[in-house]
Amino acid sequence: MFNFAFDSIGEAFMMQSANGQYHGIYVWSVVFIVLTSLLVTFFIYKRKIRNIGKKIK
Amino acid sequence: MIKKFIHQFASPKTYLFQVDRAYPYIFYASLFVYIGSLFWGLFLTSEDFVQGNSYRIIYLHVPASFISQSLYLAMAFASAIFLIWKVKLSAYLVKSIAPIGAVTTFIALVSGSIWGIPTWGTWWAWDARIISTLILFIMYLGLISLHDSFTDYEKADKFLAILVIVGSVNIPIIKMSVEWWSTLHQTASITVTEKPAIDASMLYPLFGSIIGFSGIVFCLVILSSKLQILLREKNKSWVKDYV
Amino acid sequence: MKLINFEFLKLRKKSRGWLGPILVFILIMTAFPLTVEILNKNLEQAFFSILWIATLLVMMLATEDIFLEDYNDGSLEQMAIKYDSLSGLVATKIFVYWVLIGIPISLIGALYGFGITRSSESALQILPILLITTYIFLNVFSFGNALSLTKGSILGTLITMPLVLPLLVVLGKVVIAINLGISFLGFLFLLLGILSIIILILPMIISFVIKAHLE
Repeated sequence: MFNFAFDSIGEAFMMQSANGQYHGIYVWSVVFIVLTSLLVTFFIYKRKIRNIGKKIK
Repeated sequence: MIKKFIHQFASPKTYLFQVDRAYPYIFYASLFVYIGSLFWGLFLTSEDFVQGNSYRIIYLHVPASFISQSLYLAMAFASAIFLIWKVKLSAYLVKSIAPIGAVTTFIALVSGSIWGIPTWGTWWAWDARIISTLILFIMYLGLISLHDSFTDYEKADKFLAILVIVGSVNIPIIKMSVEWWSTLHQTASITVTEKPAIDASMLYPLFGSIIGFSGIVFCLVILSSKLQILLREKNKSWVKDYV
Repeated sequence: MKLINFEFLKLRKKSRGWLGPILVFILIMTAFPLTVEILNKNLEQAFFSILWIATLLVMMLATEDIFLEDYNDGSLEQMAIKYDSLSGLVATKIFVYWVLIGIPISLIGALYGFGITRSSESALQILPILLITTYIFLNVFSFGNALSLTKGSILGTLITMPLVLPLLVVLGKVVIAINLGISFLGFLFLLLGILSIIILILPMIISFVIKAHLE
């Protein structure tokens, strides 16, 4: 259950499947999009809260 | 009785203080769970027999689409409370959930369409699930623009709550009708009533990522509602003390 | 009855209110064959989808100022005080709009259907569907325009268009049934059922919204 599916980082990046296709580009772009959109949303809200805090003060 | 209870414990002030105390625990715990189960899902599980490695997107796509619908439900619930008992806090919650819902629906749409390239051979299809998610996305944006177009917050809250409730009646109908129309999407891998259709080693990280993602989105909702409270109650004295 | 007469007169006097949407409908339906080559068989295939979309758009345009003028000149407020059921007034207004806009558009749509598909049978079958659909659209878009009362109809459309999309799926199924010659009575009853629910509930919600506007 806990065996690494890939042998090296390069392999994990390319993610070659059994049918020969490389799926790394899809998986990693989705990871990138999800994490950046979460980060950006957090950043925007933190900044807005800081701004309004300053204004109230 | 219930009314008194809600009014006492759902004042923005108590909410803000309680939530501030719980925030770091929720945030770090869910971040840990999310990153951990993503790592598990992306590196430690074996490759899917049919879809190859591209199936690993499931750990990012399913939580987002699950949350995007649950958030709408939460909004409908909050609007009902607002319309029935006139609880201000729930109006703030409705307003603050809408943009977060839009973000998660966007994530679900984009990750789904990228997933579609290797598995279906097309990034977009006029398929039941995709269309209903797209409509959900547009509805979230419509809710935001409805609230933005009124400067009178009380009116805006009321209209938003009405629209959310009418829309919540419609969401299952949209889903059903579009599914009736046509579908290409695989049926849900996990349902409450049936035994899961995927292997346990793939299932645990999926559950983990759903829980972790929910926690992170919950933190976003907390931040967003905090912003709303500060924005609306900025003239109250306790807010000045709080800041 | 007096109320119906009054509303009827008010809308009839305002020719852009009722004649405008009908003419726009005719224009859209006439513009569509221009985009297809003449004597092309494709005309028939796309006709019904154009018909539904045109009906949707025109109903949206028609309800744009259903409450706006009354709201601006203050008569809506007076009405709300004078009659104890505002939802009755709303239902009457929508009914009058349907009589003056929905029925003519349904007839013209059926006429176009006869002109393009060349079968009187499908034109006759499309007529009741159109009558029901226009009424549903008028109700739903009135709700949207009541919400965005002073903010323009783009907002109203943006928030109510998602609500009528399931109806378009049903309408698509109706067209398939008509083209294949299957009985479409089931769909007719389904539409009637939707209509009866909407007629009962939406005027109440709309009157609630209007009361919130008048506060």
